[in-house]
Amino acid sequence: MTADHWGFVLAAYGLAAVALTLYWRHLCRRERELSKMVKASSPRLPRHQA
Amino acid sequence: MSRILGWLAALGLAAGLVMAFGVAPREATQGNVQRIMYLHVPTVLVAYLAFVVVLVASIAYLWRRDPAADRLAHASAEVGVLFTGLTIAAGAIWGKPTWGTWWTWDARLTSVAILFVMYLGYLLLRGMIEDRERGARYAAVVGIVAALDVPLVHFSVYWWRTLHQPPSLLKPGPASMPDGILAALLVNVVSFALLYAYFVAKRVTILRREGEVLA
Amino acid sequence: MTYAHRAFIVLWKDVLTERRSKAALNALLFFSLLLLFIFQFTLGGDRERLTAALPGLLWLGFVLSGLVGLGRTFLLERENDCWDGLLLTPGDKSAIYLGKVAGNLLLMLIVEVILLTLFALFFNVDVGRALPALGLVLPLGTIGFAAVGTLFAAMTAHVRAREVLFPVLLLPVVVPVLLGSVRATDAALAGEPLSAVAQWLQLLVAADVIYVVAGLLTFDALLEG
Repeated sequence: MTADHWGFVLAAYGLAAVALTLYWRHLCRRERELSKMVKASSPRLPRHQA
Repeated sequence: MSRILGWLAALGLAAGLVMAFGVAPREATQGNVQRIMYLHVPTVLVAYLAFVVVLVASIAYLWRRDPAADRLAHASAEVGVLFTGLTIAAGAIWGKPTWGTWWTWDARLTSVAILFVMYLGYLLLRGMIEDRERGARYAAVVGIVAALDVPLVHFSVYWWRTLHQPPSLLKPGPASMPDGILAALLVNVVSFALLYAYFVAKRVTILRREGEVLA
Repeated sequence: MTYAHRAFIVLWKDVLTERRSKAALNALLFFSLLLLFIFQFTLGGDRERLTAALPGLLWLGFVLSGLVGLGRTFLLERENDCWDGLLLTPGDKSAIYLGKVAGNLLLMLIVEVILLTLFALFFNVDVGRALPALGLVLPLGTIGFAAVGTLFAAMTAHVRAREVLFPVLLLPVVVPVLLGSVRATDAALAGEPLSAVAQWLQLLVAADVIYVVAGLLTFDALLEG
C-alpha cells in the first residue's frame, strides 16, 4: 500500500485556509475603514428653515 | 449581495471538505495524498475563470471607459493571482511526496508559474501608476495581451515538456474518473468559484468606495 | 497621407536620428560583446557544454539586448517633450505603433546578426550552413518580441520604476516566442530541416500575428493623455 502522506495533505489545506482567511480579513478590515471614511466625509446637511 | 455570496461560499467550502475527505474514495495508485487535488484543481480552474473575467472587463473598459469594468478587472486579477499562488503551492506540496520534488519544469507547473508572474506584473503596473484613469487604460491593455497569450503559453510549454498527468477533466467523452472523485471535484470547483465571486464582490466595493473617498 | 506613409515616416525619423547619433546601436553592440565575454567566463571552458547551450545563449543575448533597446523606444519622445506631438498626430495612431515596431525590428535584427557573427567567431561555431534557416527563424522570433516590447515600452515610459517594470511585464508574455525561437534555432544549427520544427514555426507565426494585431488595436488607448 502506498503511503498516505497526511502531513502533506494537512499542509496544503492548512496553507490555503490561512492564506484565504488572511485575505478575507484584509478585505473586511479595508471595507470597514472605508465605510467610516465615507460617513465622515459626507456631512449631515442642516434642515432648511421653512 | 456579497453577504449572500459569502454564506453560500462558506457552505460550499464546508460541503467540499466533506466530499473531499468523507465521500471521495481513497485513490488507488497515489493513496490519500491525492486528496490535495480537491484543492489544487479547483483553484487553477477558478484562476483561469478569473483571468477570463479580466479579459472581458478589460475589453469592456477600453470600449466603454466604464469605471465599473475597470474595478471588476482589477478585483478579478487580484483574486486570480491569489488563487494561482495557491495552485502552485498546493501543487508543489502534492509533488514532493508523489514526484519526489517540490518543483519540476513540467508543462502544467511551468504554464501556471508564467500565468502567475504575468498577472502579478499586471498588479504591479496598477500599483505604480498614480493616475487612476491612466492606470485603468494601461492595465486593460496588459490584461488583454496576457489573456491572449495564455493559449500560446499553454501550447509552447506543453510541447516543450510533458510530464504532467494528461488532462482528465477536459478530455472529450466520459470522464475517466470514478464517480466519487468526480463529484468531489465538481463540488469543490463550484464552492471555490463562489468564494472567488464573494472576494471579487468585496474587492469591487472597496475600489468603488476608494474612488469616492479619495477622489 | 496614407496609413503606411505615416508609419514609414515614424520609422524613417527614428532611423535618421539613430544614424546621426548612433547612440543606441553602439551601446547595444558593446553590450552584446560584453555578454559574449560573460557567457564565456560564467560557463567555463567546456566547449561541448557551450556548443550545446548555443541556441539558448544566442537568444539570451538577443533578449537581454532587446530589453535594453526596446525599453528606450519612446525615450526620445519623452525626454524631449515630444510626447504631445505623438498625441496630436492626425488619423489612426496605430501607424505610429507600426513604425516603432519596424524600427525596433530593424535595430534588433542588426544586433542579432552581429551577435551571431561574434558567437561564430569567439566560440568557433560553424553557422554557415544554418544561415538560410536562421534567416527565417530570427525575424519570426524578433517580430513577436518587438511587437509586445514596443507596446509595453509605451506604457512603462510613464512609470517611475520603468527599468524594473518593463522586463517584468515583457518576459513572461514572450515565453512562447522564446521557446519556439530557441527550438527552431537549435534545429537550424544542428542542420535539421525546418520541417522538423514546423509546429514551432507555426506557433511563432501565430504569436506574431496575435501580438501585432493586439498592438495595433490597443496602442491608441495608451497614447491618450
